[in-house]
Amino acid sequence: MLRMYRMLVIASFRSRMQHPFNFVFGTLMAAVVNVVEFSLIAVVLSRFGSVQGWSTYEVAYLYGAILLSKTLYRTVASDVHHLEKYLVSGDLDQMLTRPVPVLLALMAQNVTIYVAEFLQSAVMLAISLSVLIGSGQTSWLAVPQTLFVVLCGAIICFAIGLATATAGFWITRIRELQVITEDSARFAAQYPLSLYPKWLRYVLCTAIPVGFANYIPSLYVVRGELGGWILAATALFTAGCLALSMRFWRFGLSRYQSAGS
Amino acid sequence: MISVTNISKTFRVPVPVEGRWAAARALFSRARTDKEAVRDISFTIERGEFVGYIGPNGAGKSTTIKMLTGILHPTRGEVRVAGLSPHKHRTDVARRIGAVFGQRSQLWWDLPVRDSYDILAAMYKVPDRDKRERLARLTELLELDEFLLTPVRKLSLGQRMRADLAAALLHAPDVLFLDEPTIGLDVVAKKRIRTFLQALNRDFGVTVLLTTHDMDDIEQLCRRVMVINRGELAYDGSIEALRERIGLPTTVKVTFGGSFSVPDRWEEPFRLAERGDDYVTLECNRSLISTMEVLRAAGAWGDIADVHMEEPDFEDIIHRIY
Repeated sequence: MLRMYRMLVIASFRSRMQHPFNFVFGTLMAAVVNVVEFSLIAVVLSRFGSVQGWSTYEVAYLYGAILLSKTLYRTVASDVHHLEKYLVSGDLDQMLTRPVPVLLALMAQNVTIYVAEFLQSAVMLAISLSVLIGSGQTSWLAVPQTLFVVLCGAIICFAIGLATATAGFWITRIRELQVITEDSARFAAQYPLSLYPKWLRYVLCTAIPVGFANYIPSLYVVRGELGGWILAATALFTAGCLALSMRFWRFGLSRYQSAGS
Repeated sequence: MISVTNISKTFRVPVPVEGRWAAARALFSRARTDKEAVRDISFTIERGEFVGYIGPNGAGKSTTIKMLTGILHPTRGEVRVAGLSPHKHRTDVARRIGAVFGQRSQLWWDLPVRDSYDILAAMYKVPDRDKRERLARLTELLELDEFLLTPVRKLSLGQRMRADLAAALLHAPDVLFLDEPTIGLDVVAKKRIRTFLQALNRDFGVTVLLTTHDMDDIEQLCRRVMVINRGELAYDGSIEALRERIGLPTTVKVTFGGSFSVPDRWEEPFRLAERGDDYVTLECNRSLISTMEVLRAAGAWGDIADVHMEEPDFEDIIHRIY
């Protein structure tokens, strides 16, 4: 399975390299967009210093963690996010005639490496962690814990993205839905959830559980609240999300109506 | 090889909203109606058969093929391909079948043709030796060598179709599904594809199910034809028996040099389909009357300046018969 995935990814890269200008230009543009977005956040953070009792570095941690998780998800599961394209064109048909799981084939299509996002989130995490460890607020144990949190976060982002894409089997056009479940939710998770009204906090920990991708585990990792059990709970929750979204995906795929030819 | 028992496929489609604010109301409308694209179809295809599957647009051809290849799940009924259900064992069935959809390519658009074959061979776990042997044979039969190193997007339609056929056969499938393989091709390219398909079926015993709009495809390739109309199987039998049933429908367009008059009735068995300013279009069945006789009769109506025989519109015929 992994070999298959690797081969498809390589094929995808080679295809993209046929248009090197597009590839380079796209990567550069994405980097610029990110730098701008990041500068805005940096301005906000430096102006307010702390948000609801969360220091600048703690917020930077939340931001870096969710961004890295999302970037991992989008890199590994590339075109899951673009299922709409396949539904509209009927290109999903030929994926279904091959002896490869459709999801795997989809994940290996149009693979992009988000260089800017990777760098930016890694740098933010590194800076905030070094400050927080340096000040004695947390220990070096936070480093492996953070890697674990980011991994769980990536899986949660994947599960949310997959479930949203699956809705496309019924409604076809999913872009607007993605704005809510992926973009807005992730944007919300860049700040401490304690900032939001109770109902929204509730939504972000259940229906669109981005809260578990960074906020909840970081309560323990960087602030020492709750207890180590929360990491185990996060892992369990992540596994549950993944299982649920996969089931939903399989169900959706069986309802695929294909496009007329 | 293929057995289909009472399959139906129902699509849920939104009910079109009419009247004032139709577009806005459609947005919130949850009304759905069931559209039955395929209704209670059954058939069996034995190993080594070459079957044509024909019918007008929207009759359910593609829907049937999609159910056989595991793309769509039948709403009711059961499909077995090589003994397996394509929707319960999709990947297992995928290994045993090949599929070519004339409208879209299954090759990697931006990569050289040969790279697609490498990827597909790995996907279907074709051993290296088998791959080389088969590719050599396919290259020879389909004359692929002139464009093996060309990116797929730069191929002509005919080349692409040959490349796609080879791609579908690389894993030596038992069954080959072809959906409009000759669509848009010129006469030479069509002939090449047909010759190849014939050899494939005859020499390698591959079972083929073919949908097409081209009656020549059917006549030259298929021993058995199935006709589907409005989602139901209207005919299943030999090509000869079908021909007896529909005869040899022909359309003749006769242009007159000067004024002409069409009588109210005539004795010969042909009918007036259309009448223009200086021409008439006549339809006859050549198993009942020869074209010469039709022309002789029309010659009495005025001075014939030009005659044009038209390919029978196949869809039209099917519509009229069933």
